[in-house]
Amino acid sequence: MKALVLLGCPEAPSQTPIGLYASYKLGQMGYDVTVSSNPAAGKILDISDPEGVYVKKRVDIEKCLDEIEEGDYDLLVGCVHKDAAATFFITYYHILKCKALALVFSRDAEEVAEFADMVESSTDADIIAVRAFHNPNPIKVKFDKYLKTLEE
Amino acid sequence: MSFCLETYLQQNDDYEILVQRSGVKQCYKLIEENSKELIHVNPGDKVLGARLIGLPPIPVGINEDEGAILITYTKPCHGTAAIKIPISPEEIESVRAMDIGTD
Repeated sequence: MKALVLLGCPEAPSQTPIGLYASYKLGQMGYDVTVSSNPAAGKILDISDPEGVYVKKRVDIEKCLDEIEEGDYDLLVGCVHKDAAATFFITYYHILKCKALALVFSRDAEEVAEFADMVESSTDADIIAVRAFHNPNPIKVKFDKYLKTLEE
Repeated sequence: MSFCLETYLQQNDDYEILVQRSGVKQCYKLIEENSKELIHVNPGDKVLGARLIGLPPIPVGINEDEGAILITYTKPCHGTAAIKIPISPEEIESVRAMDIGTD
């Protein structure tokens, strides 16, 4: 099984730790995980995980977008904390046409609702939507519960 | 020769930016307001060689009299821009042929 973790702009501090965590947990579950990240997020991953312990495969988000086709992955997990991140996730979803989870988070509750609505209106993806910015734990708690459903 | 939007925007200055660093819905509104003809495509459809990023259905404006199309352009850290790009009549026809229609 192959999973793609999508990381856009790293402006929200929670993105990098949750991206690393998602890559790690999905790998433990047996997924072959690739992280698709924009250059800024990629540089942060390089520094955070210099030996590739948690992120085994990494590709550029735009190069990946240009190359992916339906069926390339079995699971898409994307961090959605900006308008642009929502549009990237929705686009990846429509190309890959696989099971998908949007991790929607922001310090602003209205933005969380707005981005969750964008994803819900445009995809059949599962959605975890929480207020979170510096602290990734609210995202992690719900993500762990979601992973249990994947194991069932 | 295939068209690369990223390269085009870096190497040319004959395109017009209607708005930048904006939200995708605001950009769609601008495209709809500034286009004489509208078609729609799916997210990920390649328009002039570039996969369009957005919410379905994605509007693409065609101003044939100006020889231009209007599309959105999204970068993760910089939001979405609505841009008008000059293209040839043949390219306009190929863009028009991509219309998925809207019900």
